Amino acid sequence: MKRFLTVLVLLLASASILAAGLALDVKELVLSNGMKILMIPKAGVPRVVCHVYYKVGSINERPGITGIAHVHEHMMFKGTRMLGVTDFDKDAALDRKIDEVMDKIYRDKYWKSDGGDKTRLAQWQKDYEELVQSEKPLIVKDELWTLYMRNGGTGLNASTGNESTGYYVTLPSNKVELQMLLESDRMANAYFREFYSEKDVVMEERRLSENSPGSLFNEQVNAAFYAASPYHWDVIGWMDDLRKMTKADMVEFHDTYYVPNNCVAIYVGSFDPAALGAMAEKYFGRIPRGKDVEPIRTFEPPQYSEKRMYGQGPAPTGLQLMFHIPPEGHPDAAALSVVADALGAGGGRGFRGMGGGSGTGRLYKTLVRDKELAVSASASSRPQWYVGAFQFSATPRVDKNVLPEDLEKAIWAEVEKIKKEGVTPDEIQKAKNRSEAMFIRALDSAMGLAMRAGRAELNRGWRSLADDVEAVKKVSNDDVKRVAAKYFVKDNSLTAIYTRMMGR
Amino acid sequence: MKKTLTLFAALSLLVVSFGLAQVEKPSDLKFSPLSYEPPNPQAFRMTFANGLRGYIQEDRGLPLVNISAVVNFGKLAVARDKAGLESILGDTLIKGGTKTREGSAVEERIDFLGGSLDFRVGERTSTLSLSVLSRDLDEGLALFFDVLMHPEFRENAVNLAKRRLTEQLRQANDAPSMVLAREYEKLLYGDHPLTWQATKKTYDAVLPGDLKAVHGRYFFPKNTILTASGDFSKADLKAKINKFAASWPNQSPAPQSWSKTFPAVEPGVHFIQKAINQGYISLGHLGLEDTDPDYYAVQVMNFILGGGSFTSRITTKVRSNEGLSYNQGSRFTYRWGFPGTFAGYVQTKSATVGYAISLILNEFDRIRKEPVSDAEMETAVNFYLESFSDAFQSPQATMATFANLEMTGKPMDYYKTYRQKIKVVTKAMVQEAARKYIHPDRAAVLIVGDWEPCNAGSDKFAGPLDKFGAVRRITLIDPLTGEPAKTR
Repeated sequence: MKRFLTVLVLLLASASILAAGLALDVKELVLSNGMKILMIPKAGVPRVVCHVYYKVGSINERPGITGIAHVHEHMMFKGTRMLGVTDFDKDAALDRKIDEVMDKIYRDKYWKSDGGDKTRLAQWQKDYEELVQSEKPLIVKDELWTLYMRNGGTGLNASTGNESTGYYVTLPSNKVELQMLLESDRMANAYFREFYSEKDVVMEERRLSENSPGSLFNEQVNAAFYAASPYHWDVIGWMDDLRKMTKADMVEFHDTYYVPNNCVAIYVGSFDPAALGAMAEKYFGRIPRGKDVEPIRTFEPPQYSEKRMYGQGPAPTGLQLMFHIPPEGHPDAAALSVVADALGAGGGRGFRGMGGGSGTGRLYKTLVRDKELAVSASASSRPQWYVGAFQFSATPRVDKNVLPEDLEKAIWAEVEKIKKEGVTPDEIQKAKNRSEAMFIRALDSAMGLAMRAGRAELNRGWRSLADDVEAVKKVSNDDVKRVAAKYFVKDNSLTAIYTRMMGR
Repeated sequence: MKKTLTLFAALSLLVVSFGLAQVEKPSDLKFSPLSYEPPNPQAFRMTFANGLRGYIQEDRGLPLVNISAVVNFGKLAVARDKAGLESILGDTLIKGGTKTREGSAVEERIDFLGGSLDFRVGERTSTLSLSVLSRDLDEGLALFFDVLMHPEFRENAVNLAKRRLTEQLRQANDAPSMVLAREYEKLLYGDHPLTWQATKKTYDAVLPGDLKAVHGRYFFPKNTILTASGDFSKADLKAKINKFAASWPNQSPAPQSWSKTFPAVEPGVHFIQKAINQGYISLGHLGLEDTDPDYYAVQVMNFILGGGSFTSRITTKVRSNEGLSYNQGSRFTYRWGFPGTFAGYVQTKSATVGYAISLILNEFDRIRKEPVSDAEMETAVNFYLESFSDAFQSPQATMATFANLEMTGKPMDYYKTYRQKIKVVTKAMVQEAARKYIHPDRAAVLIVGDWEPCNAGSDKFAGPLDKFGAVRRITLIDPLTGEPAKTR
């Protein structure tokens, strides 16, 4: 057995990229079904960060099923043919009946303009509840989660974004096989029990974000900013779609996107790559390749007109100013990140929980410190996979009667200055140093590294992490002036002004 | 390249079928044994000039150095009429500059180097943290110690911080989760330094001289523990640190003490009105200190009750069975020198507030009355044993953990003996812990939500909410003035 494994070492492709004078070594394996396995051995405690990423997120949805990528992520914890059930066949028969009843309910409730026949609906609802009760004894609650926890799983979670979905667990080094078994099982054999009560859970999750002050406005701002591309809706989805999406939608979604050729598994920690590679072959390799997945079709068309939005509610008065920019990997992305850095990227640092912006960015120095117009002011560049956004955010000094419109003028003044003069050599060098240091820090945390490299692999490949650092190194002041002039124009902008209204 | 890899993959599949047995279900998996011993704090402990202590670990993997200073000063040491001084200190230790450097010059330089310098004040400790590339260690250390030893709290920086923090007060009643957290502590601890809140007046009362006085009184070598990890040699780093520490004036730490008497909580419902579509709920009472011998049994008990996420009873009942909520469970919080809090918590749509509370109270009751199952015990105990090494994944976090043990006076073999203490917890001890630390009859039920629909309830659990005891309405404080807020 050992000899075979040694042979396998030679079969793993090993590659490293160099950035900031540092090598990032990644062992790569592509299974015959198209699934990619990335391995980054790292000395330290005997644990392994095990993440699985699928190239699917809310941008793969369409009106009618918005939020399904995220609901599906929840459903991935609800069992398989093997897990979460005592008698699969018996349970499946009941589960089909539940779907039939719910189908009748949905057709009455959501298809008919009068909301359906109340008496009939009440009867069906009763039937549904009885079926659910009779299914309960067959269900083993959260078996996957329990197995992971019983075996010392930490960082146990999953998350859905606009572009990707990840499933996370960190295990003791001797138990990685458990992850391979469970993750390959749920990719191939997911079975969506308790679908309807889980939709209720997700609707509660949506209500939670609705109750976060300002979030409803931000959802509208986002929808207005992205008119055509599927970044238009939030990951959580619209409430109507959460209510009306069906089990059939869920199954179709799973079969389309949860295929090995749309997936990357990444391992970071203390392990033997050859042994791990063999294990990956055994578990993930047994899943048949799926159909090719088409990338999204609709990018953002040019805006051609300025957009403005006004809102009121229970959150602090503030300004957002957004511009469309190109996606990751575009030649202008690096110069835009330098602009964001010079103006005050990231936010948050230097002032607790207020998104205050770095104390060395121009916006902080001018708007917050010297003119005392703002409590906080920040800028960030988010290229994303297909369409990007550059965003300014600022909170006015209400005690000095500053209005969001005053901040808007002040930010435009800073932007015009950059169009004309660019930034200083020191600011460019600072941005370069920070991007290099950030790259090195990202290598420090096993979990952070798994997230960055795993997600990057789905889009432009893990090597793009270093490409981006190199691209920033090449940015000149002419690039800065050029991108500022190209993207920071009214016809490409959305200005959102929010005012606190105490009476709501 | 890609084609070759596919071929390799096909080959390795052959290897696999010979090499590894096929496993179809988790119970068939056999894991090789793995032993792990936690690092010994003594191996990292160092002393420097002037009695400055530290926990230092070389970690040559990346060209990075992380250094922190943990100082025995926090919010609890601030006088009531200057409540919030800690936030101003937090913002101005760096921004206020040093005797020889403007605050902006310190920030500019650290940023230029791609480093970070951050200062945070907590309840009883403050932490200054530096992260730089190892090639910038000398310059980083000079800035770090200058800020730590010689802050100047220049007036313009202090005034700006005060005005920004005052503006921030306007948001104090915005987020229901923030309101719930703050008011739950006020309910349980009453009028105590733990719950004092800053207002515009108390911020205004803080002068640069107050910040200097606090710095002079608490920031000295014997009141500080360093932590460092990264790309350096211990001997070199020691020599470098000693140069700074030698000129840092010392004192003897003065004992700090606070009242540990808290008012009896009024059981029943405490309601805060907010026009939102869910009720945000915490229900419970004070808990215990983590130095209590019962701590381990309580950990296991709470894991089963509502701390072990999806494996716990509250999550199963409230979320998984009923679909009532996204976030629910129970937690014991811990704080240095005081009993922490115990709470069952949930956020659910207004109509199901009463139902969710009733389900949680049932679980409080059940874990007191019935022994937990063998399977529940096994999952909980194994989780703590098998995930133990996770705490030591990051060298810098490990050093901080050790510094924290020493700062709070916990035994230095805390981690060495931890797993043994979990292992000996029995079902009887779990039930005993539940009976001792969970009291549904004494629980305060705090709800932030919309009164009418919350009180009305739903088919499954009709209102009114006074089924859970007398209802008291809490009027929020206007955060700017500290006076009762006008109705919203």
